Amino acid sequence: MTESILPIIWYFIICGELGLYILLDGANLGIGILSLFPQKEEERGIMMRLLGPIWNANETWLLVAAGSLFGAFPLVYAVGLNALYIPAGVILIGLALRAVSFEFHAYANNKRFWSGMFGVASAILVAGQGLALGGLLSGVKVVDGKFAGSLFDFATPVTFLITIGIFFSYLVLGYAYLIRNSSYQNSNETFPRILIAAGGTFIALLGATFLLPETNYVFFDRWTMSPTMYYLFALAGVIGFVSVTLAYYVIKKIHLERVYYLCLGIFVLGALGMLIGTYPYLLPGSITIFEAASPDSTLSFMLWGIGPILPIILLYNFYLHKIFARKTEGGY
Amino acid sequence: MKGMDVLTLSRIQFADTAIFHIIWPLLSIGLAFYLVLMEGMWLRTKDAKFYHQARFWTKIFVLTFAIGVSSGFPLSFQFGTNWAEFSKAAGSFFGNILGFETTIAFTLETASLGIFLFGWKRVPKIIHFLSGVGVFVGASLSGFWIVVANSWMQVPRGIHMEDGKIIVDNYMEAIFNPSSLVSYGHMWLACIETTLFFMAGLCALALLNKAKESAFFLTAFKYVLGLMLIVTPLQIGFGHLIGLVVAEHQPAKLAASELHWDVNKPGDGAAWNIIAWPNEEGTGNAFELGIPAGLSLIVTDSLTGTVQGLNEFPKDERPNAIESTITFYAFRVMVAIGVILLLLSFLGAWYWWKKRLTVEGVQKDRLFWWLFVGALPLGFIATEAGWVVREVGRQPWVMYHLLKTSDAVSAHLESSVISLFIIGLTTIFAIMFILFVFFTYRIVRAGPDLSAPVP
Repeated sequence: MTESILPIIWYFIICGELGLYILLDGANLGIGILSLFPQKEEERGIMMRLLGPIWNANETWLLVAAGSLFGAFPLVYAVGLNALYIPAGVILIGLALRAVSFEFHAYANNKRFWSGMFGVASAILVAGQGLALGGLLSGVKVVDGKFAGSLFDFATPVTFLITIGIFFSYLVLGYAYLIRNSSYQNSNETFPRILIAAGGTFIALLGATFLLPETNYVFFDRWTMSPTMYYLFALAGVIGFVSVTLAYYVIKKIHLERVYYLCLGIFVLGALGMLIGTYPYLLPGSITIFEAASPDSTLSFMLWGIGPILPIILLYNFYLHKIFARKTEGGY
Repeated sequence: MKGMDVLTLSRIQFADTAIFHIIWPLLSIGLAFYLVLMEGMWLRTKDAKFYHQARFWTKIFVLTFAIGVSSGFPLSFQFGTNWAEFSKAAGSFFGNILGFETTIAFTLETASLGIFLFGWKRVPKIIHFLSGVGVFVGASLSGFWIVVANSWMQVPRGIHMEDGKIIVDNYMEAIFNPSSLVSYGHMWLACIETTLFFMAGLCALALLNKAKESAFFLTAFKYVLGLMLIVTPLQIGFGHLIGLVVAEHQPAKLAASELHWDVNKPGDGAAWNIIAWPNEEGTGNAFELGIPAGLSLIVTDSLTGTVQGLNEFPKDERPNAIESTITFYAFRVMVAIGVILLLLSFLGAWYWWKKRLTVEGVQKDRLFWWLFVGALPLGFIATEAGWVVREVGRQPWVMYHLLKTSDAVSAHLESSVISLFIIGLTTIFAIMFILFVFFTYRIVRAGPDLSAPVP
């Protein structure tokens, strides 16, 4: 395959779409999970109403990323989903249940059941994402461009830790979002919970980071070889610094409106770390973006078709959030 | 499902998801069309009755959208999870088009939907109307790309194969292949027609039950009836056009959908079978009852035109006897319903002409109204049947004459895992369906809120 810049462009577009999905829907999922904690039905209802107008548009970014991946890197869409059949199934069930629990909640008499289902669905969806990411990073066995492992390969200790880490990290994001966009739970019991969730994220993902080099040789190389090791250590330092700042704000209860943005920052830095750790692999250790890329004719056609649309969707989403993501007044 | 191989199970899984999924785009495209029409009329005339129409039917639209999205995700994921070899081979066009569907169409629909559903008090009227247009155009465009992707699998044009993968040579030829535009027209009209009869059935039910807001439902029924008169004949015309495309590009499918085994002799016409059943060897019909020369006439505009039969094609390149029989009967179900719906809309028009469509008249003409209640599910059944013809009839190919279904399936799948997933999904689908019926019934029973202030 001749060197072309198009696969790299598409790689970064898809990273952007996926990143946007995590930032936007991560908070929704976190709120979904924390709606499971004991509280009044009325409070759950307010959480769901807060998300009502936006969850759908947020979730769309996952489908956009999947569609882009299918067209630009069909080999990875095929082999990756083939290998991650089970995590993908978990994600699909979570998506399906979450979507209908929103609408059925609005119509049903038994609100409690459907708001509970919304929480459960969010938890299933998060678990699916953790399992998929864990399975991906743990390594997918590929021979001659075909999946050559077992459907249960995804289940590694790393996957377990990553799933827990993602679970907690979405929870932190959810709390931060609520603090920014509603008068929800600016109470004394909230802050210890944020710290616990943040601590859980930190420990689980640190554990995963230590285990990864043993599970997948790619990460061993990245952490031991120049120049990626320097980038990664520097990045770890920055993430540590931002995390400490966040914890300090939460403990001191100052600059609470900044907490959400700090969270977003940590997610972006984490994603950057993942990028440095895996580039140019799409399936780390198995398939690179250049091996998986569609012919240039497809990549450029897609770029002309989708490229001009993306900024418009972004603006539209921004408008949507501007209309709906106002502080909910009246408090709880 | 024990003992079934992963290929069969993957086919069941896909069929299961597709059969369930298609119900909802039918309604969301059709209802979005009606909603935009009503809101547009309201903005134009300032007459509150249009506003109430829009608000009421939105309640049902919301349900269809959520369930449609829920069942749409599993479809697009299955191309990877279950049909990896297909996705690898076809991805550079098929994946690209699915990417267009999500990026260009679906995002427009979902982002507009937020404003459309929740923005009545938050945005100016015109922005709200435009968001409705966004939902409708997004949904219709979404359907367009899906039908393009599918049509291209039926008639793959504008590409060549290299190392088992397709390379696109000409996008215009690939996108606007001979099948795509007529197929899309047929499918889009199916959305509208199915929804019209769905709405008419609900209105008839409400009128028969002497709903408090009977006048509201009668008005809706008349709007819907007016649209039916345009759509039902048009749809039959599009159906005929698709038949011609199939005859030219997928003759084996045409032969299967007619259980037509042997080419007619020169000077003789091929009969159009009303009913038929294949013999045990799968080489001809054990019995058949047909209209002489009917098939030749439909396909070639001539009583003696040549129509190739199934036996003309190698056995491993055409649908087998079971698939052919399914295609044959599915086709007849679809055609019969198309005709019934046309006649029903004519009947409705005649009653309208005779001024018998009144609230008081309902109890006198109960049979008339019950006919429309009975027709409520017919559009759905016809659409499902049509897709069965399209998908079963093109077997054993997934990409016509390029890749067989049996070569398209993913590697190292496990029957137990697929079975479990099929059971899980089907359970969720069944619950969604039951709840949809239940909530729709309740929404219609409660009727519109005509006292709500009009903005």
